[in-house]
Amino acid sequence: MSEKVQKIVEIADDELILGWRDSEWTGIAPSLEEDVAFSSIAQNEIGHARALYELAARELGTDADTLAFDRDPGEYLSAPLVEERRMDWAHTIARHFLYETADEIRLAALKDSDDAEVAGLAAKMDREEQYHRLHARMWRDRLQDEPRFVDALEELWPAAVAVLPEELRPQMSERLQLDLPSNSLLRGFERGSHSEELRPLLDEMTMVRRSVPGATW
Amino acid sequence: MDEQRFLEYVQSGGQVETTDRMPDDYRSKLVKFIEMHGNSELMGVLPEREWILRAPTLQRKLALTAKVQDEVGHSQLIYRVVEDLGKPREQCLADLISGKSKFHNVFHYPTKTWGDVGVIAWLVDAAAIISQKALLKCSYAPYARIMKKICWEESFHILHGRDVVLTMMNGTDEQRELVQEALNRWWGPLMQFHGNPISKEDDPMYIWRIKSQGNEEARQQFLDGYVPQIWELGLTVPDPKLRKSDDGVWEYSEPDWDELKHVVTGHGPKTQERLEFRRKFLEQEAWVRSVVLAEAA
Repeated sequence: MSEKVQKIVEIADDELILGWRDSEWTGIAPSLEEDVAFSSIAQNEIGHARALYELAARELGTDADTLAFDRDPGEYLSAPLVEERRMDWAHTIARHFLYETADEIRLAALKDSDDAEVAGLAAKMDREEQYHRLHARMWRDRLQDEPRFVDALEELWPAAVAVLPEELRPQMSERLQLDLPSNSLLRGFERGSHSEELRPLLDEMTMVRRSVPGATW
Repeated sequence: MDEQRFLEYVQSGGQVETTDRMPDDYRSKLVKFIEMHGNSELMGVLPEREWILRAPTLQRKLALTAKVQDEVGHSQLIYRVVEDLGKPREQCLADLISGKSKFHNVFHYPTKTWGDVGVIAWLVDAAAIISQKALLKCSYAPYARIMKKICWEESFHILHGRDVVLTMMNGTDEQRELVQEALNRWWGPLMQFHGNPISKEDDPMYIWRIKSQGNEEARQQFLDGYVPQIWELGLTVPDPKLRKSDDGVWEYSEPDWDELKHVVTGHGPKTQERLEFRRKFLEQEAWVRSVVLAEAA
């Protein structure tokens, strides 16, 4: 896998797994209005994953669904931040806010890519992500004095930093006015390691697809 | 307007707005009927949302999330109509989880395979759209108006469901078996869906022209529209008595009306589990609603 394809698959896996996690709220979010909003965000993330997988699949001679569903858990390149199952609103919003901040920094770098296709797709994704950022900031403003939200932000900060490659991390620290975590705090959250919760997610995600091998759905 | 004149007005096709005077009985029947519709949209998301996490392709995942999102959006619209009639959403939700108010029979049953996802989106939504299209003529105008958007979206759900079913029917024997097995389980609840064949002249919801058709009329329309399609796909309807008579009326085995009554009064196979699930998240995230309400105040 070339460096370019690897980078695309990393982001695609983040968006896929986060979209999957976000869609766990569909039907049970804290209010009906938020339910509709969060479902849209989940759909956008999955849509981005699909567009990125299609790009990678052309280089790898496969297709987007195969990349999304048919790899072994160890082959996923997602960051542990997006993998964890956090079914409470404080953690969900803390992760959403932190991820969107990291994603904005990552997409800005990608928009300057020499590869016109990659730069174009990054620009397209960034247009949709703007709405996610507005949504995330609205919730951050709302919840910033809530102890459970403050605790969740602190807990998830190292994993959020680890979403980005090292050279982009100082921007994240500057943006949120938080000190970068030490290497010992980052252990276990770096890309390449996986949360224990990835495997059960993938098991559930591929349950129907695996049930009749080779079938079209 | 006295009650008799109001009745004549709605029976001759007249429509009522929120601020119009209306008899208490009409208002309470409206609330009961529309609230049950809102409850059904909201409880209907639970059997399907489980499958969002198991959707077998990216396209199916997107379509199913969008469909379930639509149902949540419908419940939001519908509860607003109830709210304007005097019952706040929080009260509707409290009555739903305490079991005081009801929701449609089909949402009390379990889902077992991806075949259920296709059969629900295709046939349960088809049965529902028949009832909902008849509500476009509802005597309460605000309800009739939102039904336009709801019917429009439901028609996409039917296409999505039919596509899921068609893809499986064109697949392997095992996939065809999944669809047939799901249809066998859903057929009974589908035949009960439109209610017992009470004459519409005795149905208070028809008398007030909240509904514009009788239960049996709706069921006949469902059978006429969908049985030929079910057969065309190579599926068998699990009712040996089902046939269209020479005068164009569908004959069928008597649906189990005791089961319908038992299920909608809170004794369905999944009723308590689903209410408990909804109660759990309503309670767990109550603090979020307090923060939002404090901000709005």
